[in-house]
Amino acid sequence: MLTQTLERQTTWLDDRLTLGKGSKKLLNKIFPDHWSFMLGEIALYSFIILVLTGVFLTLYFIPSTAQVVYHGPYKPLDGQRVSEAYASTIDLSFSVRFGLVMRQMHHWAADVFIGAIAVHMCRIFFTGAFRRPRELNWAVGVTLLMLAIVNGFLGYSLPDDLVSGTGLRIAFSILLSVPVVGTYLAFFVFGGNFPGTSIIPRFFILHVLIIPAVIAGLIAAHLGMMVHQKHTQFRGKGATEKNVVGSVAWPTYAFKTLGYFFLTAAVLAGLAGLAQINPIWQYGPFIPYHVSYAVQPDWYMGWLDGALRIFPSWETVAFGHMIPTIFYPAVLFPGITFTVFYAWPFIEDHFTHESRQEHHLLDRPRDRPLRTAIGSGVLAFYFLLFSASATDVLANFFGISLNIVLWSFRILVPTVPIIVGFVAHRICKELQTWEDVGERKRPTIILRSADGSYVGTTADYRPGDEPRELEPEPVPEAVGAHANGASTPELVGAGAGLAAPSQASAVPSGVLQAPRAPRNFDGGGGFLSNLRPRRQRD
Amino acid sequence: MRSRSPWSLLPVGLVGFVAAVGITFFADGPGGAVAASSQTTTPTTIAVDTSPSNIASGRTLFIENCSSCHGTNAEGSARAPSLLGLGAATIDFWVSTGRMPLAYPTAQAAEKPPLFDAKQTQAIVAYVTHLHPGGPGIPYVDVAAGDVSEGQILFSLNCAGCHTITGAGDALASGYYAPSLYPATATQIAEAMRTGPGNMPRFSPTQLTPAQLTDIVAYVHKYIQHPVDIGGLGLGAVGPVAEGFVALAIGVGLLMALAYWIGDRAVGPDAAPPKGDEGHGVTGAAGHAGH
Repeated sequence: MLTQTLERQTTWLDDRLTLGKGSKKLLNKIFPDHWSFMLGEIALYSFIILVLTGVFLTLYFIPSTAQVVYHGPYKPLDGQRVSEAYASTIDLSFSVRFGLVMRQMHHWAADVFIGAIAVHMCRIFFTGAFRRPRELNWAVGVTLLMLAIVNGFLGYSLPDDLVSGTGLRIAFSILLSVPVVGTYLAFFVFGGNFPGTSIIPRFFILHVLIIPAVIAGLIAAHLGMMVHQKHTQFRGKGATEKNVVGSVAWPTYAFKTLGYFFLTAAVLAGLAGLAQINPIWQYGPFIPYHVSYAVQPDWYMGWLDGALRIFPSWETVAFGHMIPTIFYPAVLFPGITFTVFYAWPFIEDHFTHESRQEHHLLDRPRDRPLRTAIGSGVLAFYFLLFSASATDVLANFFGISLNIVLWSFRILVPTVPIIVGFVAHRICKELQTWEDVGERKRPTIILRSADGSYVGTTADYRPGDEPRELEPEPVPEAVGAHANGASTPELVGAGAGLAAPSQASAVPSGVLQAPRAPRNFDGGGGFLSNLRPRRQRD
Repeated sequence: MRSRSPWSLLPVGLVGFVAAVGITFFADGPGGAVAASSQTTTPTTIAVDTSPSNIASGRTLFIENCSSCHGTNAEGSARAPSLLGLGAATIDFWVSTGRMPLAYPTAQAAEKPPLFDAKQTQAIVAYVTHLHPGGPGIPYVDVAAGDVSEGQILFSLNCAGCHTITGAGDALASGYYAPSLYPATATQIAEAMRTGPGNMPRFSPTQLTPAQLTDIVAYVHKYIQHPVDIGGLGLGAVGPVAEGFVALAIGVGLLMALAYWIGDRAVGPDAAPPKGDEGHGVTGAAGHAGH
């Protein structure tokens, strides 16, 4: 009954907007059945949560540094002169119904959003999913990571509390450190000297409108390219470079991913309700001559803060311009980081020449020991830098001298990644020699012979225990199937031609496959070669 | 750790106050009332029982526990400084927080459960101050009278730079650290500000008036030690590092586990049997149940 109503509605829409053709492609899209393909969805759904909670927060947040006297339920701030931004965030947390849980959900979602991007990026990297034809989508992804970090920092700075104000002061100094143009740059961004009155309104509009809009657009491009190029897939039964094997978007994957959205929302709401994040009332308002020790940025900026902390104080003079110490760890280092990220597909191709053909089948990390070794080393490098952003907290927690912690990181950061890379390389090489690694374990029968020696033999699967991998079938014509006249007899009368097949076997399920259509123009020269003759006719 | 609450000291202080035997070091504080001038004004210090019997028992305790480093007459040695003229507040702070007697020499004396009870501490304080009067007396703090809003501003300006804005404490250079403020009593907080133990700067009554001292102590006592954690678990009050670990380990980690849970197609006997398979048993039905 529900199905029939749904079908009547969609048919009505299809008759008017001819949605059938496009939606059929989407509904029949094949999603490979592997959990690691859902990591990007954590980021996508966190972003949706971020937008929803962020809209709520904008209703109460006042992006202004105008000074007001706070009066409210939190007594230690009562009667203090604070900025409107700070006062409104405190009111949001104490006096607005659902305000604090929304704020905390927004903040946790931001932390999880960027964490999910990082984990998703690791999956793409270690399986070689960035290779031709997906180099551009990799670049879009790297841009998304960068924008997410920047927007996280902007949002973190908005409440104008003591801790985030310290972060802003550091950001101002980083801008100042750029040789030649640093002063102009810093004054341009902050609208004058630090702290000024412009930075909160400027960061606000960047944080709530401009960067989210760009992120949303790039997410659309990211997903659009993914649909257009189709998913990559791991090697498995029936999976080739020419097809995609997995579950179909409608109904199988749609329900799976909808469930996953709810799970993401549940985890974020759970964190928001149970774990306190950024209690700005405990930090007090930002006053430039007040400072708190143990100030760190949010985790995704931690690698930069760690680099700032452990970098030796080298000040160099080049061409009559002084290059301050912080230029290297805070400007040059992230610049190099993202340049290498963008360039990685091309750097790797320079050595492997794999871009001669397309790659839709993923690598197992162990099959590419060098890439896995480099990736592991780089991960260790950034994780150590992140840890180095907590030198003081670690020294205090373990009761050791801060100087020892600092020097430990100065030694660990360059050396540990090399060791990690080497060990990862050895593990990959070792795994390659194990023939049955990754396969389903089979029972081993150990027999003791009369002379006391033991012999182990691999037994057959126990009856009913055999691994069954389904043979992928082509996607049936689920949408618009009534056009083929495939409706079931009992629905002919009731549905009068509108009903799609409701028979269980006709609804796409099980392991399905879709072919990858060749997309290149014949003869080479790209799409511009096809335009040339037309111009000649003109 | 909390054997000396400010209230337990109050009767002692009042007795001494009536006897007009006070250390009137803070009498010139701008905002403070003069101790021992009248019973109606707020006293600024808590007097110590200087009866000969108390001094005698203090001497015994001092010789047993302190003299091996500080000398029999608290004159100091190559191992430890002289205690003469440091004042009641200094001696009371170091002994009542358990920092003295020292367990073993480190860059900074560590806080530990105090060796002496309140009466014994009083006796030691009486003995040492008897040897050489002077120095800051034990500050009297009326926590209820403090203005927590003033206290927050003053704490943010004067204390957060080392103890952090949440009072959790943090490491300083070369093995020194600003200790956590959570276990300190109101009197100990005031004593530390007036005497500047270890690396800590000393805040004299000209820098922080007795009223301002009270404000800071009130803020620390009421809000640093009992933070308003309306958002849930406080995560150690160390800020974004702990939050980052929670976001990655619990947030992303849990979601990855959930992805693993729902992301994979079931393989093996529970999977849907291939098409045309006649064995549509219980497992086969389960495999199709989701459709």
